[in-house]
Amino acid sequence: MANANTIIGSSIVIDGEISGEEDLVIQGTVKGKVALKEALFVEHSGTVEADIQVSSVEISGQVTGNVVASDKVELKSDGRMVGDIKAPRVLIADGATFKGNIDMER
Amino acid sequence: MATEGSGFIGKSITVRGTLQGEGDLVVEGTVEGTIELKDQLLVQSGGRVSADVQAANLTVYGELTGSVNATEVVSINAGARVIGDIVAPRVIIEDGARFKGRVEMEVPLPDGLRADGGRR
Amino acid sequence: MATVVGDRTFINGNLTGDEDLTVHGRVKGTIQIGKSLIVEPTGVVEAEVNVANAVVSGVVVGNITATDSVEILKGGRMVGDIAAPRVIITDGALFRGGIDMGEVKADESGLADARARAAAAKRGGGAPARAARPATPPRPAPRPAAARAATPPRPAPRPATPPPGRASDSPSAIASAAASTGASAPASPSAPKPPSPPGGRRKKILLKRR
Repeated sequence: MANANTIIGSSIVIDGEISGEEDLVIQGTVKGKVALKEALFVEHSGTVEADIQVSSVEISGQVTGNVVASDKVELKSDGRMVGDIKAPRVLIADGATFKGNIDMER
Repeated sequence: MATEGSGFIGKSITVRGTLQGEGDLVVEGTVEGTIELKDQLLVQSGGRVSADVQAANLTVYGELTGSVNATEVVSINAGARVIGDIVAPRVIIEDGARFKGRVEMEVPLPDGLRADGGRR
Repeated sequence: MATVVGDRTFINGNLTGDEDLTVHGRVKGTIQIGKSLIVEPTGVVEAEVNVANAVVSGVVVGNITATDSVEILKGGRMVGDIAAPRVIITDGALFRGGIDMGEVKADESGLADARARAAAAKRGGGAPARAARPATPPRPAPRPAAARAATPPRPAPRPATPPPGRASDSPSAIASAAASTGASAPASPSAPKPPSPPGGRRKKILLKRR
């Protein structure tokens, strides 16, 4: 778990765009777009329906949308994702659910 | 409380008209009209002012209805009831005050932020 | 349970929820939460805000409607309208906009006249330093919840003709004005003192609460 400065709590719903230069933890719902220079953590209660552009993302919740990461994408065992991944490193844990394309070409 | 150069309007007095002064004015009674002071207007609890006010300072514990133009500070204290528009560089509204109207202070905003004055 | 927007994060959209929201960064759009909005000194909120409480130490541009209270702390800046039963503006806060606390039991019937007089005075060049905005027409009824008790209209006060003998702008003029207008009881025992000698230093008091 990150020591992030920005935390979207579980009762929060954001319909719009989040951008920033620091880590972001999502425990609530975000619909729209996420663009970060740092890391994104979608926790177990988190739901993201958005295109995501980050350095890295760790998914323990639900993501619907395409993910582009400059470093890595990690789907944990309780993570569920529908969408395309483009990242140099991709880890999908046993138990995770994924449907989409993966492009690891640098 | 009243010092040299200050005016005082007692509880049972009602003034209708234009009041002007070089010093302070303390109102415990009723004033209707216009008040222009070089220094401070103090409306005590129980005082009722229904007037346009121009002063350096305004401190309200009682009731005031009207337009206020102060060059220094306006202070609306707990228990006060004020209705009107206030123009002043500093305005203080205490918890427990009752106010309805506009407040106009100079508010510098960060670059790139513009405001339309908040009209609904 | 609390949501924090860090100082290098920008949210542009509609934000709803039921927990406290602390903003160090920037939020633009609309905020609707059932708890408190806290705008920290580095925070910038450009939004329509609907909350239970708001505490502002940063910058807010937009209107805030709160069911409980709105407090602008020293260093806080806001441009917009506030509608809340409790509003606190601390010394050192900067605010420009309307404040509506609901019913204020004072005589409102003179307010439209006061605004008209203020507009006329400004057109005549009587206003000091600051260029004020033109007077607005009387406010239409604000929140549906704020039922304003109707006060019977009374004749608008007109400045009386100055009493005879009022030749100068000295404080003693106030005593004579007070004495000559409808005082049913004798003038107050603590009558104002004679004017200070010209050139003498007047002591200014800012009276504090007893």
